[in-house]
Amino acid sequence: MKMEKLGTKKFDLQKLLAPAVLVLLYIVFAIFGNKFFTLDTLKNILEASYYIGFMAFGVTFIIITGGIDLSLGTVMMCSALLGAYVFKVHNWPLILALALTIFVGVGFGFINGTLVARLKLPPFIATLGTQMMSMGLGSIITKVQSQTWPTATAEVGAWFKKVFIRADLFGVKGFPVGALWLFGFFIIASLILHKTKFGRYTYAIGSNEEAARLSGINVDSWKVAVYTLSGFFIGMAGIFYAAAYTTITPGTGNGLEMNGITGVIIGGTSMSGGSGTMVGTLIGVFIMSVLKTGLSACGLQAPWQTFLTGAVVIGAVLLDKARTNAANRVKKV
Amino acid sequence: MKKLIALLLALVMVFALVACASSETKTEEPKTETPAAETPAAEEPAAEEPAAEEPAAEEPAAEAGTLYIPVMAKGFQHQFWQAVKAGSEAAAADYGVEIYFDGPASETEINAQVDMVKKEMAKDPQAMALAALSTESVTEILEECAEKNIPVIGFDSGVPDDTTGAVKATACTNNEAAAAIAADKFAENEALAAKMAAATSDAPIVIACLSQDAVSASVTGRTTGFVNRMAELAEAVQPGKVSIEGHAKWEKKVDDAAIIIRVEISATTEATAVQTAANALLQLDNLAAVFCSNEGAVTGFLAAVSDGEDLADGGKYEDLVVAGFDAGAAQKNAVRQGWFYGSVTQDPYQIGYKAVELAVKAANGEEVSDVDTGAQWYDASNIDDDMIALLVYD
Repeated sequence: MKMEKLGTKKFDLQKLLAPAVLVLLYIVFAIFGNKFFTLDTLKNILEASYYIGFMAFGVTFIIITGGIDLSLGTVMMCSALLGAYVFKVHNWPLILALALTIFVGVGFGFINGTLVARLKLPPFIATLGTQMMSMGLGSIITKVQSQTWPTATAEVGAWFKKVFIRADLFGVKGFPVGALWLFGFFIIASLILHKTKFGRYTYAIGSNEEAARLSGINVDSWKVAVYTLSGFFIGMAGIFYAAAYTTITPGTGNGLEMNGITGVIIGGTSMSGGSGTMVGTLIGVFIMSVLKTGLSACGLQAPWQTFLTGAVVIGAVLLDKARTNAANRVKKV
Repeated sequence: MKKLIALLLALVMVFALVACASSETKTEEPKTETPAAETPAAEEPAAEEPAAEEPAAEEPAAEAGTLYIPVMAKGFQHQFWQAVKAGSEAAAADYGVEIYFDGPASETEINAQVDMVKKEMAKDPQAMALAALSTESVTEILEECAEKNIPVIGFDSGVPDDTTGAVKATACTNNEAAAAIAADKFAENEALAAKMAAATSDAPIVIACLSQDAVSASVTGRTTGFVNRMAELAEAVQPGKVSIEGHAKWEKKVDDAAIIIRVEISATTEATAVQTAANALLQLDNLAAVFCSNEGAVTGFLAAVSDGEDLADGGKYEDLVVAGFDAGAAQKNAVRQGWFYGSVTQDPYQIGYKAVELAVKAANGEEVSDVDTGAQWYDASNIDDDMIALLVYD
């Protein structure tokens, strides 16, 4: 009970702060940026966020259990790469290729979960291993050849882009369809995290694993389930990465996991586990995208974007610390 | 709470500062752009055009200054791209246009390039210069360009296999012409010319071209360019006695040849495979000259001659005339030491300059066509000259 109260308190602050920063950023860039306040820019911000968003949704569950997943980026690439490979080289129907993409994500999620929960490997090390394995696997199977998903003008599977990225919908030309998917899955992820037993156990394991075990929760099984669910979201991220960027290069993806993890951290989820929200994650992801797009609209090149994203991460964690300290002071009194 | 607010304010101030600092040159732009952004009928290019022309008619002086052309490279940190950037900036200054040069940190970061290009599209550029990492990945963007009449100019490797018609021209090195320079230089080499003149059917000399593959467009282009020009020049010295051998693609065998032009293609592009091919060449009797058609061929060849020391005075192959292509660190060293006769390098500065020049012309509605950005010969005597030093990238 106590824990839940504490949770709600953080939730309120979170609700105020993160969106405020997001809106503020947007306004600042709208004033100073070159054509930032346009529909095209908004589409760009959305489209660059899809895959990061799905990765972040998945890893939010893991981080709340007190774990970490470093294999996000490469598993996503591996899934997208293998999906494109079976589609292009083995002429699988697109729908099966998409299913395989998700399956690869789920499979690696299950492996991560088993390594962490059953074989008791530290998550950092287990997922570092699967990070390299997934990167290698993609290269081995494709024989280090780049793979491409169908483009909007392709003869076979042109619907791919229309379903996942842009379509003429609601009378809007090039409506960002992916946003519907992202928000749809955001609602699903939120419901799972905040309204189900699965979600409550996720928080319980992250707050105090031993206490959770003693109160009769089968911690190991739930952990495997958490990593597997995360794997599903990473497979989805693979699909949206493919939809946004078409060509998948073997041996890449290393480093993209940080985009997802950074989104979660900016969103106020504590790395020590036991707290965090899905709304925070969504906003964290958008803060990053707005920042990147906005800085580019101000004429700042990629290195500046990376530098300032780093500053935001530190700022976000400092905020988090200040918040926790404030909460602790209240408790002492 | 105070701490929180202070932190938040500090963060906002940092952003505001950064944004202000970088937008100094653009302060006037938003004003002219707001009317365009407000027109809801932005989907129809026909409706947008008159809106864009109106302010131009009022202040004709401003029109030339507002041409905005993003230059999207395949890389950034590589010295090659820095030279391209220098060239594009020079062209921007000459034509009075604003450019924005950017590229991903490495050539595998297709996603970074796609994001970059999309962001630039949102700024409604008048033209764009693009060296695409993957044509498929930018297909939708090219379509948008074609639809909105934004001319795209390819540069360096350009945008191969573009089907949308958005790409109007490409500024790149003509590999055949560039490699022919090496053949010309071989003919100018006195020792080699003497050998060519003295060669007979009983004691033929061999001039070789070492290439890492017969697939990539740039390498095959260079091989063809070198072989054809070399054959032409050799024919002038020994009419009817020039034989081209080694690979079916270029083969033109002649009996009783006095000069054999040998094309040696490596089994794979791996450095060890190229080295094996180089060793095979070095086994040949009367090998007089070797042209290595790219950085990979040079690296493999150097490995086969003890990192170049065998080519030095007193070395095993001191009389061998060797020329390279491109300019990696090892190759530059070989040229500087005089182990190599010299090398051909692309002209990245011109690639950048011509790309922007073509983009400006295309934006002004002129017809444009592909431009050869040329190549330069460098050897020990001029490698440290300012102009050459700019082209000789690592």
